[in-house]
This record gives sequence, structure tokens and C-alpha cells, in this order.
Amino acid sequence: MRATRPNDDEEVDVQRVYVHGTAVSSSWADGSASLTDLIFRCVRRALDDARMPVGDLEAVVLAAHDLVDGRSLTNMITAPAAAAFLKDETRLGDDGAAAFVLGDARIRSGSVRTCLVAAWGRASEGPADDIARALFDPFTTRPLGMTEIGVSGLRASRALIEHPEYAEHRAAAATRRGEVEGAAGRIPAAAWPLRDTELPIWGDVVSAVVLSSEPGPVEVLGAGMSTEPFELGDRDLTGLPALRSAGEQALREARRSIDEVDVLEIDALTMFDEALALEAVGATGSGRGMEALALDPRLDPAGARSVGYCAPAMGLTRIARAVQRVREGDGALALASGSSVVAAQTQAAVVLGRAEGHDTTHGRSCR
Amino acid sequence: MSSTPVPPDGDAAADGSTTDPVAEPVTIQGHWDFGYTYFAGASASRFFNELRLNQRIMGTHCPTCDRVLVPARGFCDACYVEIDEWREVGTEGTLDSFTILTTSFPGLPEPPTVVGYVTLDGASTALLNAVHGIDLHDFDEAGALLLTQPRVRVVFSDKCEGRITDFAFELVAADA
Repeated sequence: MRATRPNDDEEVDVQRVYVHGTAVSSSWADGSASLTDLIFRCVRRALDDARMPVGDLEAVVLAAHDLVDGRSLTNMITAPAAAAFLKDETRLGDDGAAAFVLGDARIRSGSVRTCLVAAWGRASEGPADDIARALFDPFTTRPLGMTEIGVSGLRASRALIEHPEYAEHRAAAATRRGEVEGAAGRIPAAAWPLRDTELPIWGDVVSAVVLSSEPGPVEVLGAGMSTEPFELGDRDLTGLPALRSAGEQALREARRSIDEVDVLEIDALTMFDEALALEAVGATGSGRGMEALALDPRLDPAGARSVGYCAPAMGLTRIARAVQRVREGDGALALASGSSVVAAQTQAAVVLGRAEGHDTTHGRSCR
Repeated sequence: MSSTPVPPDGDAAADGSTTDPVAEPVTIQGHWDFGYTYFAGASASRFFNELRLNQRIMGTHCPTCDRVLVPARGFCDACYVEIDEWREVGTEGTLDSFTILTTSFPGLPEPPTVVGYVTLDGASTALLNAVHGIDLHDFDEAGALLLTQPRVRVVFSDKCEGRITDFAFELVAADA
């Protein structure tokens, strides 16, 4: 397979990469399971889905946050539960989609033939608002009570200023996201103009994906990553240039256009973030992101919301969900992305395609 | 240690949970409360000292991209060059974005509070701070006003301490 380098367009030979197995687990405050239990069970299911013995794994890439896990150097505790024992392991303090891109790169480069990617976050163990506030700069933004939801509120107000048409479609978009049973106590405090139905539902989420250079049901056709400034005042809050760049890289590498994509799994904290993200990847035109959330058949907003939300698991969850949808025949070409803290500063995007002539029905993503 | 599975002593409840005390889930409380000393560095220190001593808002100018970056900083991350040309920016600007926060944190003003990004006159980047003087009895009404992107001005505290909270924004039209 040939890939194109971003700066000079030179083509280089790389290995092809396939997704062989996925698993996503979703729960809330299950006292019968420790964090490592949750990780082990989900990774075990991903390996089973891939029909891959753990001995065949050559590398592991993990995404986790110490603050979310409430454990300093959390990977010391959690990595063995994620099949990292005596493996080539990479630890990442970023979103799971970025971990996926690194895992993809390990295989693409020829360094390894198989790689497990896992990400998790257990919102029920820690104070989500306090953790979110601790992410911000202690001099300029933390003293003002800023949180991730607060940034989303800023972004939402800016979106309403630039795109008054968002107001027309937000109720329909929220309805399509659907109610989630028993979620009332797991929705964060809103930051106006956000409404409760536009917010995430905190969850205990683990995601795992098994990659291999051997042909499998879904191929990784392209990947991209990009980073914005830390200072929010320097950023284009509605344009999301890092996501735009990551998406363009992924599509260019896949030699596909956004118009060919028929499955979209774009990670975002709130509904406004997701609407703007759809515009950033070119899935819809300027000002039409909220309408797309309400109507676009390439999206499955209820599916994403039902899992719950906890960084840094969500980008990999979106990728696993995209793989599942391709396997189930929702479409043949998917674009999935993951956004990091702080306030979606770092973005990773991947293009996934159904591998021709391969049985896509074996194994299931599980919850 | 025995390798033989030990049967539970208790009976399973109707909801599937067990009354076996040995199987009762164990939880413990954890709390992180470390103290840190954050060093602002030369550029940010001057920015905060200008607030405290002179009630001025200062930026630094990047000669490459010609932006005035506020709060002031020692390098331009877009051009990746050091910058040390200081410029005072205006004390009025336009409200670029805002939100009404409803989350309570110890030591911070009780919510609801309005915070917003304002690009001050002469600056190229926006600065976050509280927006005071907004009637928050009706969020929708307050929000509708703020969505018009009103002009705001900087108002300094009576006692400046070299912190971002030394100043806030208020609507220019409030007493116009």
C-alpha cells in the first residue's frame, strides 16, 4: 500500500492495517467490578471478537488519564489488565482515537504485525467537574471556574451568533439523540445556552480495538491528527481547524472524499460541539451541522449517546462503533474521530472501509 | 490457599445481588489535595504585574504574523518564534462568546456567573474573564442580550493582586 506524507506529498510504502475485533463496555458505578476488572473484560472481549490469542499480540497502545482514573501513573496499575504484560506498550495521555492512530502507525510502519488499542474512563469514581476544572491553566482560566462543559457553552454561544439557524434544529436534534433510562443523575450542570438534552451522560466506558496486518473485515484506509493552541482565546472555537486538518489528512491518505463516506462517528462533548464538528470534517455545509444532527442518515446520535461519556475513551468508542456499523452493513466507508481534552485541542480522525471479499459478520462489538 | 471454589454463604436476592457478606462490594474514599507552586515565567509575570501596578492590559507582538497576543506570552506558537515587543491594548472590546456557568467551586463566586471571551481593541486574540452587571434572573433573556455581541469595557478591582481576577468586563451600554 502507498501512503502520502503530509509535507511533501511523497509516496512511501506502508503495510495495510485491518480491524479484527472491537469491544465497548458501558456501565455505571458497578460495585462488583474494579477499574481493572472493567478493562480486562472489555479487552478480553475484543480479543475474542478478533479470535486472536493474547500470545499473538505484539504491541499495545493505551489511552488513559491519571486524573480521571484517580491514580497517579495509572497505566502502571491498569496496563496489565489491558493485555500489556511483557508486550511492547505505548502509554498515551490523549484520547483513544489518537491511541488508535499510533497503533495503526506501529503496524503500518512494519514494526509489528498486531496491536491492541484500548482506552477507558470511569466517571463514576471521580468528580467530573473538579477534574475538568483542573485541566485548565491555573493563571488565566481556572480561577474563572472554566470546565469542559463551560467551553462547550462558549462554543455554543458563538455558534448561535454565527449560525442563527442552529436554533431551529436543536430541539429535533436533541430528540433524535434520545432519552437514556436512568441517566438523570449523570448529566452535568449545563452552561447556558446549553440545555440538559444537549449534554453528555457520564458513563464508565472502556473501548478496545484489535488491529492486524492480516486481512480482516474492516480496513484502516487513512488517519490524521492535528493540534490547536492551548489558549482558548487564540482558537477558532466554531471552525475546529484541528479536526478539519485531521479529517483532511485521513481522507487524503485514504484517497477518498467526504462525499463517499456513508457512516459518520464524530466524537464531541455536547450536541453543539458535534454539530460544529460535522461542519469541520465537511460532512455538511456551514451552518447546517445542527440540521445534520437532526436528519442526516449517516449519523447514529442515539447510539453514541447510549454508551455514556468519559474521556479519554470516547474517540476509540466512536471508532469501534464505526467498525460495527460497517460490519453490519450501515455503509462501506466510515469517518470516525476523537477529540481530546482540553476543549478538543487535539483531534484524531480515521477512515475505515469494508474489506472486499471478507466475512464481516463474525464477531460482534459488544456492550 | 485452596484452589477449590468456595460456595457463597448467603442466598441470591430477587434482583440478582447476593446477601453473602463475603461478596459485598468494597469501596474506599480517596482524596487528592496536593499543593503546587506554579511559576508564571517572565512574560506572564509582567502581564500580571502590569494589572496589579498599573491597571494596564498588555500583549506581546509577533513580528512574523503581526498579531498582538493577549495575555502576553514569550513566544508565538503559530510562528514558533520568541517575542518580546510589548504593547498595551485597549480597555474596551467586543464580546466574542460567552456562557452562563452554573457549577459551584469552593473559593469562587457563587453561580450563576457569566464569563466571556473579549477581543480588546488592539488585540488579536481574545481574553477570558467574568462579565459583571448582567441580570441573571432569566437566563434566556440575559443570553439574548449577550448574543448581540455587545461592547464591553474592562473594570479593575479596587485592590489588584496580580491575578486574572483583578479585572472583569461590564457592558459599555450599562450606564450609557
